[in-house]
Amino acid sequence: MIPQMWENVFGGRDKKKTLRDRLLENILFQDLTYNELRLVEKIVNVRQYHPGENIFRQGEVGVGMYIVISGTVNIYVEEMEAVSQKLVTAHITQLKACDFFGELALVESESRRSASATAHEDCQVIGFFKPDLIEIIERSPSAGVKILMRLGEVLGTRLRQTTNRITEMKKEYKVR
Amino acid sequence: MTVLEKSIVKERRVNLFFFLGSLFLVLAALALVKNLLISFLLAFVIYYLLAPAVNLFERRGLSRAWATAVPFLFVTLTLVILVQNFFPDLVTQVDGLKVELPRYMETAVQALGRIESKTASLLEGIYPINIQGQIAPKALDFAKSVLEKSPEYISQSLTIFFLTPFLAFFMLVDGRDFVRKILNLVPNHYFELALHLNYQIGAQMGGFIRARLLECTLVGLVVWVGLLILNFPYALVLGIFAGLVVIIPYIGPFLGLAPILLIHLSNGGSNSELLGLLLVYGIAQLIDIALIVPFIVAKIVNLHPVTVVLAVIVGSQTMGVLGMIICIPIFSTLKVTVQAIYKHLTDFRA
Repeated sequence: MIPQMWENVFGGRDKKKTLRDRLLENILFQDLTYNELRLVEKIVNVRQYHPGENIFRQGEVGVGMYIVISGTVNIYVEEMEAVSQKLVTAHITQLKACDFFGELALVESESRRSASATAHEDCQVIGFFKPDLIEIIERSPSAGVKILMRLGEVLGTRLRQTTNRITEMKKEYKVR
Repeated sequence: MTVLEKSIVKERRVNLFFFLGSLFLVLAALALVKNLLISFLLAFVIYYLLAPAVNLFERRGLSRAWATAVPFLFVTLTLVILVQNFFPDLVTQVDGLKVELPRYMETAVQALGRIESKTASLLEGIYPINIQGQIAPKALDFAKSVLEKSPEYISQSLTIFFLTPFLAFFMLVDGRDFVRKILNLVPNHYFELALHLNYQIGAQMGGFIRARLLECTLVGLVVWVGLLILNFPYALVLGIFAGLVVIIPYIGPFLGLAPILLIHLSNGGSNSELLGLLLVYGIAQLIDIALIVPFIVAKIVNLHPVTVVLAVIVGSQTMGVLGMIICIPIFSTLKVTVQAIYKHLTDFRA
């Protein structure tokens, strides 16, 4: 169930593209005009991570989302096992170029990360954080609204997927 | 530790070194180059004051440079008009005050003498006090230094006068990009934290500075207009003084009223004039307390009275009168910064 939730259901796969192309093919920024994209391009943060390096850890306060430009990112969850009461690490999914994660932190106030993200191989990501979103809203409200509308769509889709999955699980449970 | 982990740690250290190095260089330049610190602080004030207007023009479709230039031109024009209309008056009033100062101080010393004789009779044999001998010369020196050093301040301010708008303009145009470049040097592990911290400090400082400036302007204006209506001498100087010292919490309102009462006493003003003066000053403080403070209460950083007194002492010992006025914004900035860092260190990490 969980890998499905983390999957990017909105993006394609191509490695040789500019930052603007990368932004444009992400669902959040696909409605922006050329000038709006230029502004976003100036504001977002491109970061490099080495294999094994944490992008963020479960439980930390998160302030934004990441879009993978190149390389792969592993998503893990640390959980207390019900029976043994031991802390176990579960690998949830592996994200590739064009995938994005952590977008809930853009709208939640001081939200804690629900999972850990670690670079699997040398990777480059675009960091898009709450202060960046606020700056965009202040400097270009039309771009801000377009991004927020798309963000709502992403969160809605994720919620619908989760609801569907829970319904399926309930049905499976009843059959058993 | 694997080779890979070692390389990550090494890269983190290099990034941290460059980040802290850049910060150190900026701070060293501010501390060592004369007038640069004050110019920089004032440029920050202008930055926070004009940033909403610049953003507004940018939203209307102007480029960042033009969006900055338009409010700058407007402010410059306003200042030129204000200087043209009020500067001659201000100079005349300062000159007049310089001439009259010994007389006002004599009145103050006499008033102090009366208090001393009354207090001495109460505390006779318990604690010997000598207000006239101890405080009067210092008060006279202080008042003289404020007025006599004003040409020195003005010559100093000329450098600041040209440097500040220059710095402020580029802070508004390129400041965010510059900060982003500095933040890019922050190691990955601390990046989100640094970015959020920078945003929080910026937002709180912006609100604080705009709130304080609004407060100063309104109090200054009310006192000036009120004194003009009462036909009280030196209305402009006293209004500016009352507006400036209102920055100092707790002490400021009394400090602003002191010269007004002193001049009233020296001129042998009537009781009705005294009532009028108290009314004007009371209205100014009422507007401050009833309108401004609740309206912007969340944005004003409250300092403990002891901190205020300590800050004022440190300010006056290091930079004189100017230090007394700018110490509170500096201490408030430090408080906001330390609070934000502490909150992050305690809450941010898992």
